[in-house]
Amino acid sequence: MNTLAGWRKRLTDFLFPDESDEWLTLLRLGLGLQTVLYALSLLNDWNYLFGTAGSALITRDLAEGLLALENRMVPRLGWLVAIGSHVGWQEQTVLWAVWICLLCSGLTLVLGLFSRFSAVLAWFLHLCAARSGAFVSYGVDDFMTIGLFYLMLSPLPDRYSVDCRLRKSQPRNEWLGGFFRRVLQLHLCLIYFFSGLTKCLGSGWWDGSNLWRALTHPPFNIVPPEILVRWKWFFPILGIAICLIETGYPIFIWLKKTRFIWLMAVLTMHIAIGVTMGMYLFSLIMIVLNLAAYAPGSLPPKVARPSPIPHLSPVD
Amino acid sequence: MLVAHRLTIIPTGVSEYSQKAENVAAAVLGLHFTRSNPVRQTLGSYLAFAGIDAGYGYFAPNVPSGYKLVFELHDADGHTEYRRPSANSAAAGLRLASLLDQIGRTDSDELREYMIKELAAVIWREHPEVKTMRASLAQVVQPTIADYERGKAERYELLYAYDFSLASESAKRSGQ
Repeated sequence: MNTLAGWRKRLTDFLFPDESDEWLTLLRLGLGLQTVLYALSLLNDWNYLFGTAGSALITRDLAEGLLALENRMVPRLGWLVAIGSHVGWQEQTVLWAVWICLLCSGLTLVLGLFSRFSAVLAWFLHLCAARSGAFVSYGVDDFMTIGLFYLMLSPLPDRYSVDCRLRKSQPRNEWLGGFFRRVLQLHLCLIYFFSGLTKCLGSGWWDGSNLWRALTHPPFNIVPPEILVRWKWFFPILGIAICLIETGYPIFIWLKKTRFIWLMAVLTMHIAIGVTMGMYLFSLIMIVLNLAAYAPGSLPPKVARPSPIPHLSPVD
Repeated sequence: MLVAHRLTIIPTGVSEYSQKAENVAAAVLGLHFTRSNPVRQTLGSYLAFAGIDAGYGYFAPNVPSGYKLVFELHDADGHTEYRRPSANSAAAGLRLASLLDQIGRTDSDELREYMIKELAAVIWREHPEVKTMRASLAQVVQPTIADYERGKAERYELLYAYDFSLASESAKRSGQ
């Protein structure tokens, strides 16, 4: 009985740790910046990507029709366009209103102003765009949805937000914040483990040929192949390292001794993806999620807790 | 799913068990219910809201081939021009590549034709003088490092070609 109670206490302590909300500040700031950059990066193509027949690359109606067949409750831009039409707004006007609201929600998240409302708005509008533009979405959209979903459920505002300063209130529900940080940590472990495992099952990561293919695959081919060829001996090492970093993530990110090293390795991997493949937004969202989940408290003891300056008592 | 579909280095004998595992996963996610079933709708909504309905096998098990779509434009004077779908920014360029991947990988002939027709309409808006158009979808075959060092460049394997004419606005698939 005592053993059962002990396990239950351990599980509760693990899932609901009392933690500072520094991680939430990182998540809010990072996702705010990500949302702003997402909106700005699509400024010139917003209507082209999310419009309907006549103005768009591929009509939004197709993705929304397929989505409606599968699930009627998932938000989409078509809902907002329909609401806008009731007040006499054209589709383009509604789409631009969505873009402006998305940009503003990102900016207010960075500031920590109306944190909860901004997080919900950013999540909702981004999800609408991601689902209506399903044919033109990729990994960055999945991870933005994940991040914004956890952010809007977490106990906002955090202590560094403008909201907190204005209200002069203390962060509440630290155990709830700890819970959502734990869920994000476990979610990242699942993501990296299965991503790594799937890579291990492919032959091309062991001999490095997949790295060559990824780096020469349009539109990711921003490094000239003649430069890549000079580093060909390095590809098998790098390919195996990626498999090990991702598959080993759920173990080594939890061990105190290896957490800092693993976090640095993962961050380096994402920076390299951003720089060599031009996937800046994808890299940023992965860096933000990793930093929020694991950076607070993961610095090596010598860095985290510098030895105190010896107190010199005044000489009489 | 990848194992079940024999896309990995795992021996084929394991794929039978993987198929069973895939069935179990589908049952857990409510995919065995009808689409209108409330359980399936609720589960599907949660997965979409949380962003966890996508797989995490980016560039795995192997990096897939890319696709290239080229439109051959013919005007009334017999001039021929070539155009490719384009975007105004690098960020949208990544999304366009994702769209081409989905066009190339879909098993549905109708969906592929519909999407290519949509892209053809964009080109047509920019070139209203064009009378007929041929869309060619090809798979990009990248050279290996050794092939590249021997001077080989990427090549294209034609998968599908569609002919469009302004009069009928219909597509006719002419090759595979």
